[in-house]
Amino acid sequence: MMKKVLFVAVLLLTVSLPFFTGPYFLSVFNTIFVFMSLALTWDMMLRTGQLSYGTSGLFGLGAYASAILVARAGFNPLVSIALGGLFAGVTAFLLGFAVLRLRKIYFSITTLALTTVFSVVIRNLPKLTGGASGTVLPSALFNGDPAANYWMIFGLTLGIIAISAWLSRSKTHYAINAIRNDEITARSSGIDVFRYLLLMFVITSTLQGVIGAFYVQQYAFVQPEATFSMNFLLLPLAMALVGGVYSTIGPVVGAVLLGLASEYLKLIMPYGHLIVYGVIIVLVVLFMPQGITRPIMKWLTRKTNVGGVNSASIGN
Amino acid sequence: MLEVSTVPVLETEGLERRFGGLLAVKDLTFSINKGEILGIIGPNGAGKTTVINLVAGIFPPTSGKIIFQGQEIQHLPAHAINRRGVARTFQNVRPLEDFTALENIMVGALFGQGQNLAKAREFAREICDLVSLGNFDRYIDNLTVLDLKKIEIGRALASKPDLLFLDELMAGLNADETAEMIDVVRHLQSRELTIIVVEHIMAVVRELTQRCIVLDGGAIIAEGSYDEVARQEQVIEAYLGKEAQHAGGKEFGCYLW
Repeated sequence: MMKKVLFVAVLLLTVSLPFFTGPYFLSVFNTIFVFMSLALTWDMMLRTGQLSYGTSGLFGLGAYASAILVARAGFNPLVSIALGGLFAGVTAFLLGFAVLRLRKIYFSITTLALTTVFSVVIRNLPKLTGGASGTVLPSALFNGDPAANYWMIFGLTLGIIAISAWLSRSKTHYAINAIRNDEITARSSGIDVFRYLLLMFVITSTLQGVIGAFYVQQYAFVQPEATFSMNFLLLPLAMALVGGVYSTIGPVVGAVLLGLASEYLKLIMPYGHLIVYGVIIVLVVLFMPQGITRPIMKWLTRKTNVGGVNSASIGN
Repeated sequence: MLEVSTVPVLETEGLERRFGGLLAVKDLTFSINKGEILGIIGPNGAGKTTVINLVAGIFPPTSGKIIFQGQEIQHLPAHAINRRGVARTFQNVRPLEDFTALENIMVGALFGQGQNLAKAREFAREICDLVSLGNFDRYIDNLTVLDLKKIEIGRALASKPDLLFLDELMAGLNADETAEMIDVVRHLQSRELTIIVVEHIMAVVRELTQRCIVLDGGAIIAEGSYDEVARQEQVIEAYLGKEAQHAGGKEFGCYLW
């Protein structure tokens, strides 16, 4: 009950944010939602046990697909965002047949290498992509209206939160958890490991592509270095770790905390904020390896249910 | 004891598996009939677990055929073989640590049988009763070895197998726990289940099985009832070496209890 009231209150507050704040706060939260979405998709893949370093690659792929469709073929930007996601998803599907045969560090390194491959290919197709200097789009999404852009990314993030929460209540949850815990046990219990890995890789890549496409339409500019920036991998990864992995609430909380922290630190210590940011991440990973959300939730449930019932059902 | 039919559930023909220079299983041909409990015994490294891994599809055979309920399955992946009705436990328990005991067992019903969440939960509860597992709401790190072994067998049963492999189910259990586990396995026989027991504790083999095959160096060296094979010279030799035999080993079982 308390949880539902809190959820509705937060929802109303976030939806109505444009009515009582200015463009600065909207852009801060806009960025937080972009990274929150990426953190959620990265975590969804991690739930299968596969640590992907390809987040920024698929983000950039969706971004470029969408930008090219608008700049070269005159597509509607909103349609191009959907198609950007589709392109990332189809690419992930095809690459999945090779990449998902790999495990552990080999999977991680290969996904990282793919990011570089994408950006090199794009750099070397100047006619199509604008090459190293990138492409400027004729106009920004919603003509750069901060409120409209804010609502758009908020809606996308809400959708991704819903997918993540639904996944952790579905049969798929049992399959991917089993694969993460022990692949041999999973295989021997009738789980088609490759099929579930491919499913999750395609879902998360599609969503990363959509976010990339939105991001580039919002700023009306693509350029290999900026679009395939490691920030789109490292920041979401840090947010999920700080908030707590294998959950929906973890990446959400982590994104809000680190997003606000980095914004505040930027004001008091230009560029120095990165050091403080790094220190926060190291401390959390060292002293709260489960992230900060889980212990807090445990503490809260102990407070409300006197007698301390099994608090293990947290996580979504 | 239940009537054993003569319809083979599982047959292998000239099964071989090579790991680099090592021939772990060579020219293995055996069969097991419906409702039978077959023991596979042999010294360490004889290839017992490799036989399970081959039939369960963890890795494919180098050559030979595996025929399950009349169809060749040696080319199928593990998950497909499990769905057709072959389940197994692991010698070193392999529970899923982020799940409760009940959820571990649910996994078998969800994917081995393809049930939905509600039905799988219900079925898993029944399995918990069947293997008398009380602590099914607990997470794995709060459970005893006996409970973990019950989860192994429970998860295997939850996929509703026709053929069940029990790989050293009794290893690590004390005498009382072993007795409890033997009861659990006996209980299963009444469920039209065909069981292959790989076991080091000879009392258990004698207690449970109707027939045994003895492996050494990946090949069958003896076959028959426990009492028959336990007296055969080549079996005693495989377990204890030539010396022991001369030292007056009458029945090798007594050395191994």
